Amino acid sequence: MSASDNDTSISSFEAEETVRAIYQGAVDAVVVHGRNGPQIVTLSGADEPYRVLVDRMSDGALTMSGDGTLLYVNSRFAEMVSRPLDQLIGASFTSLFEAGCAVDGSQAGGSRRECQLLRAGQAALPVSVWAGPIALGDQPATLVTVTDLSVHRRAEQIAAAERFARSILEQATEAIVVLDRSGSITHASDAAEHLLGASPIGQRFTAAFKLEASDPDHAGLLDRSSTSLDSMLATKPFHGIEVRLRGRDVAAGRTFLLSAGPLFDEAKTAVGSIVTLTDITARKRAEEQQTMLVAELNHRVKNILAIVQSVAAQTLRNAGSLDTFNERFAGRLRALALAHDILTKTRWGGVELTQLLTEIAAPYRERVELQGPPLLLPSQAVVPLSMVLHELMTNAAKYGALSAAGKVLLGWERVEGEAGAMVRMLWQESGGPTVAPRKKTGFGTMLIERVVSYDLDGRATLDFAPEGLTCTLQFGIGAGKMAPDAPPVSDRALG
Amino acid sequence: MTETTDGYNLRLYVAGQTPKSMAAMTNLKKICEAHLPGRYTITVIDLMKDPALAQRDQIVAIPTLIRHLPEPLKRIIGDLSNVEKVLVGLDIAPA
Repeated sequence: MSASDNDTSISSFEAEETVRAIYQGAVDAVVVHGRNGPQIVTLSGADEPYRVLVDRMSDGALTMSGDGTLLYVNSRFAEMVSRPLDQLIGASFTSLFEAGCAVDGSQAGGSRRECQLLRAGQAALPVSVWAGPIALGDQPATLVTVTDLSVHRRAEQIAAAERFARSILEQATEAIVVLDRSGSITHASDAAEHLLGASPIGQRFTAAFKLEASDPDHAGLLDRSSTSLDSMLATKPFHGIEVRLRGRDVAAGRTFLLSAGPLFDEAKTAVGSIVTLTDITARKRAEEQQTMLVAELNHRVKNILAIVQSVAAQTLRNAGSLDTFNERFAGRLRALALAHDILTKTRWGGVELTQLLTEIAAPYRERVELQGPPLLLPSQAVVPLSMVLHELMTNAAKYGALSAAGKVLLGWERVEGEAGAMVRMLWQESGGPTVAPRKKTGFGTMLIERVVSYDLDGRATLDFAPEGLTCTLQFGIGAGKMAPDAPPVSDRALG
Repeated sequence: MTETTDGYNLRLYVAGQTPKSMAAMTNLKKICEAHLPGRYTITVIDLMKDPALAQRDQIVAIPTLIRHLPEPLKRIIGDLSNVEKVLVGLDIAPA
């Protein structure tokens, strides 16, 4: 073996060596000179790795001749169209797609478009088709790859669903956290983070939320060891334990309803749980207020019934006839009803005295002159005062100034007594018939004196002067003068 | 491949990933490491990528190894599995 010289041309020795090498199988490719210059012809195996790669790739791949006849397809493509390989070779490319898929494979660098790939016995598959030119020998041909878009679309749908679910969780107004099977927090709503002042993700539930039961009956449930509470929340559904959150100002005085429900994956396997803390503070307050109102209403109804019973008994005792009873009892009930109307309007708060007296004196509005400063009357004084004024008004209409062309002056002033603020009220009739001296004290007089004494904790003085009746009332209006629970117009006064 | 100025400048012509091209590359590397450590340069030329390069060294069969330097030019055809033949062909004294 010797080299001839520096010339690169092949010596006869080298030519022999080359032929011998080819003959002995020492080479697996040769260079041939065609019309377009040198070309490599492989004798074995050169394209094997590529063939395997192409056949096993996750996209469909094929080559087709210039007239659109399939020359080669990989296994994946056959799988995509659900047809055997040997049926595809020789088939027309356009026949495989809905509306043909007119992708232009002649551009250098290729081009891409989306098409619908027909499948045996199934709905068409959305695919992305890339086509580019290749020369097979002297013949122009087209290389095509086909990508299954349903996988991408499904991934996009899953991603969108994930974003949607996450936004629901984040924007929920309730504190919601997701726990894994061990009781660690994997997701939390914005409301939950706000409640804690920091993200609880990664922490155990009991480490993030320091809970105490607001109902002592449930204390045992939360007092168990934190490990078992985490585990219980993560694995067992339960509802409706009222809890408070310790150590956070934002949650101070607030009550939450703690609930937990299992979280399942697509295979219906429990992968954790969803724990919700619903703020029920407003609801609790409303419930408490309602309970209080019902109790108060019950109390008041009982009082009214006691008053009605007492008024009925006393009216009956002093009435000479059933007609008299009827008339007097109806009048007194009306006075009671009026007082309650006013109290209802002011929601059982204080009542402005001028407003109360204007309503009571309404039937004689021209002839009853009201004189006095603005003054707030406690609600407890409304019923007794109404009853007293009703008696005075009835008496005046029957026997006094209002039975003729007379007038009544109803004046009041505020005075500071030893025991606090008081009101002094004057009822003065004039212009009526001459008043005859009283021989005995009637029920009306007795009622006035007793109601003022017992229910208003005050004093009433009646002066039956010949020129007209004068009645002076004095009673307290300051705090503590009347116990809030003292029933107005008591049995004691009327009995 | 490391470059040395006064050592062996070798060109190996292959055709993609044919089995004998792969074998030739592996064998050449072993022989050079054993007998010409630090004194050789190998340039691998894939004629599948550019068949026109075959003309420069008058390549007709693949794989072919060309000793470009030191002169004179020498040519060995085959997968270089016969170490003795390669050493003789490249004028390398056995180590």
